[in-house]
Amino acid sequence: MTTTSVPVRPAGYSVLRAGPARFLVHRRAVAVASVLVLLLAASCVAYLCVGEAFVPPGEVVKVLLGQSSPDELVVGELRLPRLVVGLLVGLAFGVAGALIQTVARNPLASPDVIGISQGASALTVAAMTFGITSYSVLPYLSVAGGLLAAALVYLFAWRGGLHATRFVLIGIGFAIALRSVTTLFMTKGDYLVAQQAQIWMTGSLNGRGWPETEVLAPVLLLLVPAIAWAARAQRTVSLDDDTATALGVRLGRVRLGLVALGVVLAAVATGAAGPVDFVALLAPQIARRMTRTAQIPLVSSALTGAVIVVLADLLARRLFSPTELPVGVLTAAVGAPYLIWLIIRSRTVGGTS
Amino acid sequence: MSRLSTQALTLAYEDRTVVADLDLAVPDGEVTVIVGPNACGKSTTLRALGRLLKPKSGSVLLDGASLATLPTKRIAQQIGLLPQTPVAPEAITVADLVSRGRQPHQHWWQQWSDEDERAVSEAMTRTDVADLAERSVDELSGGQRQRVWIAMALAQETELLLLDEPTTYLDISHQVEVLDLVRQLADTPFKGDKGDKGRTVVVVLHDLNQAARYADHLVAMKSGRVVAAGPPSEVVTADLVREVFGLDCVVVPDPVTGSPLVVPGAPWKAS
Repeated sequence: MTTTSVPVRPAGYSVLRAGPARFLVHRRAVAVASVLVLLLAASCVAYLCVGEAFVPPGEVVKVLLGQSSPDELVVGELRLPRLVVGLLVGLAFGVAGALIQTVARNPLASPDVIGISQGASALTVAAMTFGITSYSVLPYLSVAGGLLAAALVYLFAWRGGLHATRFVLIGIGFAIALRSVTTLFMTKGDYLVAQQAQIWMTGSLNGRGWPETEVLAPVLLLLVPAIAWAARAQRTVSLDDDTATALGVRLGRVRLGLVALGVVLAAVATGAAGPVDFVALLAPQIARRMTRTAQIPLVSSALTGAVIVVLADLLARRLFSPTELPVGVLTAAVGAPYLIWLIIRSRTVGGTS
Repeated sequence: MSRLSTQALTLAYEDRTVVADLDLAVPDGEVTVIVGPNACGKSTTLRALGRLLKPKSGSVLLDGASLATLPTKRIAQQIGLLPQTPVAPEAITVADLVSRGRQPHQHWWQQWSDEDERAVSEAMTRTDVADLAERSVDELSGGQRQRVWIAMALAQETELLLLDEPTTYLDISHQVEVLDLVRQLADTPFKGDKGDKGRTVVVVLHDLNQAARYADHLVAMKSGRVVAAGPPSEVVTADLVREVFGLDCVVVPDPVTGSPLVVPGAPWKAS
C-alpha cells in the first residue's frame, strides 16, 4: 500500500526553476527579505535627509540618481560615503554572525563574543601604541588580528573534531584574555593614542568613507559565491554531527569553510569601523524569528544587520547633537539587554534555544 | 552474498579498545540484528559500519572497497544510518526534516527534483507521517518523532540501512510498528532491483526476544567480540544466553511466530 502517496515538499518552500537547475526557495524568507530591502532603502534615504541641515527626500533621491542639486555637497560628499560604509559593515556583520552561530549551534556565539573582534582590537591598539596611526594600514592589521584570534580559538577547540560548545567557551576565554591585552597596551601607551584607540574600539563610523569602501566592497563582492555556497551548506550543518555525516556531508571541511568565511567577513568589517558590538549577535536571531526557517536565513540576516547599523548611526549622529556618539554605543544599548534576555530565556526553556 | 562486511576491525575511543579484531558479514536483503549486554560494542560496531567512527585498525568493506577510501557522499548513496539520539534543528517542520534525507542525491544547482519529491512522499506515507507534514518536529510525541526520523532515513533511499536502537523510548505498540516496518523493508523489493531483493537492514536492539522474532541473521556480541552468529533458531539457546548475558533462562518457541522466546529463570524462588 505504498503507491498511494500524496506529493509533498518541504513545507513553506517553492521550487525555482532556471533551465536545468532547480533551487528550493523559502517563500516567507523571500517576503521578509523584500520587506527588509524596502525598509533598508527607506532608512538610507532618512539617513541622508537628517543632519545638521535637513535635506528633503526629493533632493536626496536626485543626488542618488546623479542629477544636479544644491544639496550635492552635503548629501553626496559628506553623508553618502559614511552611509555606504555603515551599510556594508552591517551586511558583513549580519552574514558573519549567521555563519558562526550556525556552526556553533548557539545563538550566543558571534564574532564579538568568541574573540574575533577582540583579536582585531588587540593588534590594532598594539600598532597604535607603537606609533602606527595611518588609516591605510590599520584596517589590514585588524583583519590580521581577527583572523589570528580565530585561528587560535579553532586550534584550541579542535580535538579530533570540532565540538560546538567547546568552541564557544574557548572563544569566550580568548575574548577576555585579548581584551586585557588591549587594556594593557592602552595604559602603556600615550594619552592621545589611548583616546583614539578608545573611540576605534567602540566602533565608530565618524570620518569613515570611500577609502574604507574601496577595501570593503570588493571583498564582499568576491565573497558572494562563497556566501551562496554557505546558504546551502547551512542546511546540513544544522543537523547533529552523526546525522549530517550519515547524509554524506564532510562536516569538518564544511564547518571550517563556514567559520573561515564568517571570520573573514567579521574581520574586514571590524577593520573598517571597529568592533560595532552586538550587530552580528542580534541580526541573525531577529532575521530568523521573522522568517521562521529551520536555519538562519543569510540574506535576511545581512539586510537586518545593515538596517541596524544604518539606523543606529543615524541616531548616534543626531541624538545628542552636536556631540556625536560612536555607533557601537547605540548597538550595545540595544544588544546588551537582548543578550541578557536570551540567556534568561534559554534557561527557562531548558537550553533548547 | 554480502555487500557490507568488516575485516579484522578494531575500534577504540581514545585508548580504550571497545571492539577487537571483528570479522562480520552482513547478508544482503536480510534483517541483521546485533544484540548483547550494555557496553558490548554493538552500537560502536554499527557506527563503524556507517563510517561515523574511524577504525583503529582493520577496515569496513563496501563492495570490497574500504569505506575509508570512498567519498562520503558516495557512501551516503548506498548506506543510510539513523543514530541513537538524532537532534533536529529548532522549529523545523516534518516535511523539511524528511526532505533533508535527499541530501546525498542533490547538488547545489539541483536542490529539488521530481525524484526527490517521490522519495520523500513515499517515505512519509510508509512511516505514516504524511499527515504531520506541516507540523513542527518539536511538538510531536516520542513515537511520532521516531517515525519522522525513520522517514528521513528512508527518503535517502539506500540499499543498506543501519538503525541504532530505533525502539528506545517507544511504547510496545510503537516498538512493534517500527520493527514491522523493518521487516517490510527487507521483504519488499528495493527500487530497481532485478532479483527482487529487499533492503539490507542492520539493527541494534536491546530486547533479545524482539531480536529473535524479527531477525533473519542474529549476531550476539560480548566484550567487543562476536560470540555467535546465524539464524535466531540456532543462535538463541539457554547456553548462549547464560554465556552472553549471564542469565539463567528457559528457551521456548514463541506461541505466535515459532521463533525462540527467552523466558528468564526465577532466582528469587530458587533458594
